[in-house]
Amino acid sequence: MTTVSASAPPASRASTRSVAPLGRLAAAEIRWVLRRPRTLVLLGLLALVPIALGVGIALTGGPGDGDGPGLVAAVAGNGLVLPIAALGLALSLLLPLTVATAAADALAGEAAHGTLRGLLLAPVGRVRLVVMKAAGVLTVAVLAVLVVAVVGVLTGLVVVGGPSGTMITLSGTTLGLGEALGRVALVAGWTIVQLLAIAAVALAVSAFTEHPLVVLAAVLGGLIVFGVLAAVPSLEWLQPLLLTSGWTAGADALRDPLPLDGLASSTGRALVYVVLGAAVTVWQMRRRDG
Amino acid sequence: MTAAPSVAAPATAAAPDAVAARVRGLRKTFGATVAVDDVDLDVPAGAVLGMLGPNGSGKTTLIRMLLGLTRPTAGTVELLGHAGDDLTAALPDVGALVEGPGFHPFLSGRDNLLRAATAEPRLDGDLRGPVDAALERVGLADAARRRYRGYSLGMKQRLGLAAALLVPRRLVVLDEPTNGLDPAGTRDVRRVVAELRDAGATVLLSSHLLAEVEAVCTHVAVLQTGTLLVSGELRALLEADAGGLVVSTPDVDDAILALREAGAPSYRAEGGVAVPPGALEAPEIVAALVGAGVAVWEVHRRRAHLEELFARLTEEDA
Amino acid sequence: MGRRSWVGAGLGAALVGAVGVGLLVAPAGASAAPPLPPVSPEDLVSSVMTAQRGPFAGEVEVDNALGLPAVPGVPQLADGTSTVRVWSGGEDRGRVAIPSPDGERTLVSDGTTRWAYDSRDRTATRAPAGDHGGPPEGQQQDPTAAATQAIATLRQTSTVAVDGTAEVAGRAVYQLVLTPQPTERTLLREVRVAVDAETRQPLQLTVLAQGQGEPALRVGFSEITYGPQDPSLFTFTPPPGTTVRDAPARDGEQRPEGDRPRSTVGDGWDTVVIGQAPQPGDGRPRDGQDGQDQRPEGAPDLSALGQPVSGPWGSGRVITTAVATVIVTDDGRIAAGAVPQQVLTEALAR
Repeated sequence: MTTVSASAPPASRASTRSVAPLGRLAAAEIRWVLRRPRTLVLLGLLALVPIALGVGIALTGGPGDGDGPGLVAAVAGNGLVLPIAALGLALSLLLPLTVATAAADALAGEAAHGTLRGLLLAPVGRVRLVVMKAAGVLTVAVLAVLVVAVVGVLTGLVVVGGPSGTMITLSGTTLGLGEALGRVALVAGWTIVQLLAIAAVALAVSAFTEHPLVVLAAVLGGLIVFGVLAAVPSLEWLQPLLLTSGWTAGADALRDPLPLDGLASSTGRALVYVVLGAAVTVWQMRRRDG
Repeated sequence: MTAAPSVAAPATAAAPDAVAARVRGLRKTFGATVAVDDVDLDVPAGAVLGMLGPNGSGKTTLIRMLLGLTRPTAGTVELLGHAGDDLTAALPDVGALVEGPGFHPFLSGRDNLLRAATAEPRLDGDLRGPVDAALERVGLADAARRRYRGYSLGMKQRLGLAAALLVPRRLVVLDEPTNGLDPAGTRDVRRVVAELRDAGATVLLSSHLLAEVEAVCTHVAVLQTGTLLVSGELRALLEADAGGLVVSTPDVDDAILALREAGAPSYRAEGGVAVPPGALEAPEIVAALVGAGVAVWEVHRRRAHLEELFARLTEEDA
Repeated sequence: MGRRSWVGAGLGAALVGAVGVGLLVAPAGASAAPPLPPVSPEDLVSSVMTAQRGPFAGEVEVDNALGLPAVPGVPQLADGTSTVRVWSGGEDRGRVAIPSPDGERTLVSDGTTRWAYDSRDRTATRAPAGDHGGPPEGQQQDPTAAATQAIATLRQTSTVAVDGTAEVAGRAVYQLVLTPQPTERTLLREVRVAVDAETRQPLQLTVLAQGQGEPALRVGFSEITYGPQDPSLFTFTPPPGTTVRDAPARDGEQRPEGDRPRSTVGDGWDTVVIGQAPQPGDGRPRDGQDGQDQRPEGAPDLSALGQPVSGPWGSGRVITTAVATVIVTDDGRIAAGAVPQQVLTEALAR
């Protein structure tokens, strides 16, 4: 780098700090997360979702043909819907899997490798450890959503195409490119918040175990259980508590005028999950054996 | 780098620092199992204390409590003058290799150390210097850029040692450091421990290898089934356990007879006749034997070995 | 940091969680009865019928426990809760959005043309406004039309009373209650209409069936704001790639039901409608877009539904829901009403 000036010795100095700076920790954590092969594999898979969707629709679908899952039918000849449809599709499994993997590796995986002990002995500080780990998982969540959204927009414009840079809403109105991209960004932000809810819960589970697979099983099992609970009519009163019951709100971004109720309430619900997950994580990490 | 490696620490230290670590009434139970039972132990500053004990004797649990990794069921821990909730404040000055090395397989040894270095409070600025120095010190410089996944057991152990030595430490805790090391590696560990001792650091070393402890340690603590059997300075313990004389002679039976007549009970021992302490001094024994016409090759004070001490202690207890 | 402050933080987090969960679970709109000047039922009903309908926007919640068979594309008809968004510009201009999880049906009337757009097959169906035999399908969800109709038809055979006040969608309302006379042989127990005290617009319609505590049907605004609306809401331009159809078949005069003899037996709450069931060979699409001003049971293929019955009137199948009964006879007649099965069979035997 640039510190090769011969006169000055390498700039490592002894410090009297009792904890390492949080910024350095978080940066190291993010670097570590991004170098991990499985993170990169999952991000690559996520990039394939909009591509596969777009190519499939371009090859087979036309307006009116589609009876595909979710919003897929709305994508044909309407490329800017692709990122939103792809996010909705990925939110059902692949995106939760990605953040759950990151959260599983963050605490349970580190414990399994014996590296958590090193961090506790440094010492990083147990609350700062949670903050640092949360930064890593947050990065994965944001990147995962961005990959789907950006690849989705590009695939939508290039492969699927559409009426000259506009988006046709489900309500039959037409939005210009700027507003269409705004809608995509809205869904991306909303999806990130939903993923953070999953990430917080996954981190909490991760704080209790040293088996990363337990975390993945808990998250995916939880999503399946939520799906089952949501399908039982006599448990309808549970609906407001289930994270997944707000996930149809993503399609609201394709309605015109934009209804914000569903997006807002599902965001609020996700934030409650985030707070509870974070509190449990901190509580458990403060008493966990290293 | 040039910061004089912790020379400041022990000799000049005030009274509380005369002990690098101290535990009182320390106890840990896992369900019905008592892992550590009411242990009192001092680790004097500047000492190299070897913690001995068979597998499962509670060495690792004791070390984990000492480092704040496990909460004691009862008792107190004091580490470099810090205790209670403040215990972790001592950790920046403590290097530890506990329960084997822990690293990420997909990173190289060097990258693993760089990641560990970001968490070290005492390091500032460019972390590569200390990392490369630590790698050099444990003899891993050549393999530094290989993935940890491909390391041999000995290399992994060396990397763990390097992580404990990233920063000049006042206390270094090594749990079974020679596990998986070849003879050269064992020698390297001994060299590193000696360097640490010379630099004034305190070293706490757990092992089940008696020879290793005897070779490097100034102090020793013996644990069995969670109980501390004995602790103290190694030389004093061995001397206290020693005593009597060993007479090398071809005429064992004659010698025993002669000594009995001289008023000193003796018995057949390896290499000759053993005379328990108390009855006669060496010159009188030699005189008695020569007077009786017994050939004497050699008379020497009987030296105790840690192995005997250990065997005696642990068998007594059993 | 002391342990105590962490206990505090933990309690705080628990509190946030509890409050958050409470907010998520709390039912909307539960509130005390606002004080309003008393009004007689007659005045209330007539003020409803004569009130000017100004522009408004709102959300209508349909809470459905009718037990109807599922109709594709109109999830609001299936049991459960659903939401419809409504905009009214006055002067026959309006927009209704019927969302489904992965699509939307949009109905727009600009005063001269009515458009129905379905996002799933991207078809827009065009019909001239004011040329309809019954209310457009979307307005069936609109409490204004629904309640007005209910009051008008049920007034003679019912006890009509004003049962205090309440709050619906944040508005103070009078509760108009219609109870069938004891002589009426009906499945219905009462029909409640919540009327906005200020605008006299019906805001909520609640149908309660005999022997059921929970309403069989509740259609009402969960949100409403009066005031001018963006005029662009009431225009519709088919987006690119849309199939545009004219909808002559949608007109009431050309319905198959309209071609066939239809009669009623009885009046008031126990009215029974007898007509001809659509024949399988009609070639009419049965996708739920037709015959919506009739009972919704008329749309799906009836031959697979219900229980077989027979009597002196013949034989057929009976479909029972919470508020209505339908008998489809094997000879193609159909009898329906908000009445028990026996009333239908008597009517058929007549």
